[in-house]
Amino acid sequence: MVGTEAYVALSAVLFTIGAVGVLTRRSAIMIFLCVELMLNAANLAIVAYAYQWAGTGLLTGISGQTAVFIILAVAAAEVAIGLGILVAIFRNRASTDVDALSEVRL
Amino acid sequence: MIPADGFIVWSVLAPALTLLGFAGITLLLAVFQSDRGFIATVALTGVVSAGVFALNLLMQAQGGLAEAGFGLRYLADVPATAFTLVVLLGTALAILVAQGTLGRMGLDHPEYYPLVLLSATGAIVMVSAGDLITLLLGLEIMSLAVYALAAWRTEARQSQEAGLKYFLLGAFASALFIYGIALTYGAGGHFDYAMLMAAFTQPGFEAHVTALLGAVLIIAGLGFKAALVPFHQWAPDVYTGAPTPVTAFMAVVVKAAAFGALLRIASTVFASLEVGALGALLPGVLSVLIGATLIVGNFGALLQTGVKRMLAYSAVAHAGYLGLAVLAADQAGMAAAAFYVAAYTLMSIGAFAVLSALMDDDDGGDGIERFAGLARTRPWLAAGMAVSLLSLAGIPPLAGFVGKVLVIQAAIATGHAALAVLAIVTSVVAVVYYARVVVAMYVRDPSGAARTPERRTARPLGIALGIAVVGTIVLGLVPGLWYGLVDHGQNLLVFVSLR
Repeated sequence: MVGTEAYVALSAVLFTIGAVGVLTRRSAIMIFLCVELMLNAANLAIVAYAYQWAGTGLLTGISGQTAVFIILAVAAAEVAIGLGILVAIFRNRASTDVDALSEVRL
Repeated sequence: MIPADGFIVWSVLAPALTLLGFAGITLLLAVFQSDRGFIATVALTGVVSAGVFALNLLMQAQGGLAEAGFGLRYLADVPATAFTLVVLLGTALAILVAQGTLGRMGLDHPEYYPLVLLSATGAIVMVSAGDLITLLLGLEIMSLAVYALAAWRTEARQSQEAGLKYFLLGAFASALFIYGIALTYGAGGHFDYAMLMAAFTQPGFEAHVTALLGAVLIIAGLGFKAALVPFHQWAPDVYTGAPTPVTAFMAVVVKAAAFGALLRIASTVFASLEVGALGALLPGVLSVLIGATLIVGNFGALLQTGVKRMLAYSAVAHAGYLGLAVLAADQAGMAAAAFYVAAYTLMSIGAFAVLSALMDDDDGGDGIERFAGLARTRPWLAAGMAVSLLSLAGIPPLAGFVGKVLVIQAAIATGHAALAVLAIVTSVVAVVYYARVVVAMYVRDPSGAARTPERRTARPLGIALGIAVVGTIVLGLVPGLWYGLVDHGQNLLVFVSLR
């Protein structure tokens, strides 16, 4: 029987990998995939916690599982908008490298 | 204390559902109606009718009959409805600004108004949320529409960049926020604030570290939308790159929603964590963020040459002043924030309306020389800009001054004197950069090359500016008009310390 801590530790690792990826990757697509990894890490943690809370007899185990579906839907909606913006940019300059985005000065 | 029974309470949803309905109607109209002015009018009708519902709910909450739905997960008490009204005010004014500017800029695509209404719907859900998942849904509904709006000028690289930067950083912030929700759920076993407060203050509660980590991630996620330092880096770029009417909308509505949500969560979940182990951590983190926001926002604005970018940094600085109210997070802090955010909405829209009237059709020409001698060439625009900027600077007797006094009072009353002093010192710095534009308008001569384009100000833009300026002056002279509505009445969800 694997404990909740193990799942949460795995999710923390995935989350960190995703966060590091966002901060170091240069391609907008890769950054976006790293964000997806972070979201899935959060989902994994919620599912693990939901299992734990269900085990203690709390009804909120169900609300955790439901929350995961809501987060999945949110992630899908984000993909739709993000890819839309990316396609619009790619049409103009044929590159998704974020370093090339320097029209706006910092 | 416990509001009307029943799980689904339609009346609390009325403002959000009205906006959602009108978003659908305007979208349908956009298909076969070529008159954009008509679509904008329909959108405004939607905002006003949502406002009537929200005002009705506010009055109910005043009389102690506040309603809530879904078992305290969606609230219509005084803070929620007050922020809803501010969101609707900002949306209405932003629609007017857009109606007066988009056509000339060649950006008058029919999907604009539905997206604005959808975004405002999300903002209302955020400020009414009494549950982390409800808050997340509101946040995403609001943000997704704004990402698209920021990239509205699809052929211009600047606008595309603004959209992409906002989207990537926003998605990153959402991920932090969602992980924060996961950890909070892990520690407390619930998503709704009421049950979380109960769980966190139970005698046997030990998961303080997880809960605090979750809270810090939630602050990061909401702090991004509110443009708190160090999550503000996107703000100057996105505010500058997005078309000016969109910037006006982002600056007021997104900020109001983020602070409405942050205040609610700070006064409930975070407050309940403060009584436990490591309780000083969250106020400490917030204080540091707010202090940094005040400094970076104000000094950043001082260094800018473009007025649009200066206003972007000023928006960051104002997030700092609003943050003081979040730190107070009591009744006085809530009321102060509700007042400040209303004043900020009016004066910001005033400044952005004048800016949209003056800037070139391609969103260029926001340099300060554009404002030189404006008092002589366009006296009304100059007067509107002067009132808005002086109010943003906090000069009495304008609304911005009253707002600053209220948040600083709230901060001192809850023992944050050092930050209050910092707020006062930085607001002196703020006078410098706002006054620079005012001086240019009233003292300098209009120079040949940088002359403002000779064009009539579109009527909707004039109406927006008029409402904003009159509102700024009236709220400054008679603050009780709005403050009297929000400083008492029912707050359904607040942490009551047992100490």
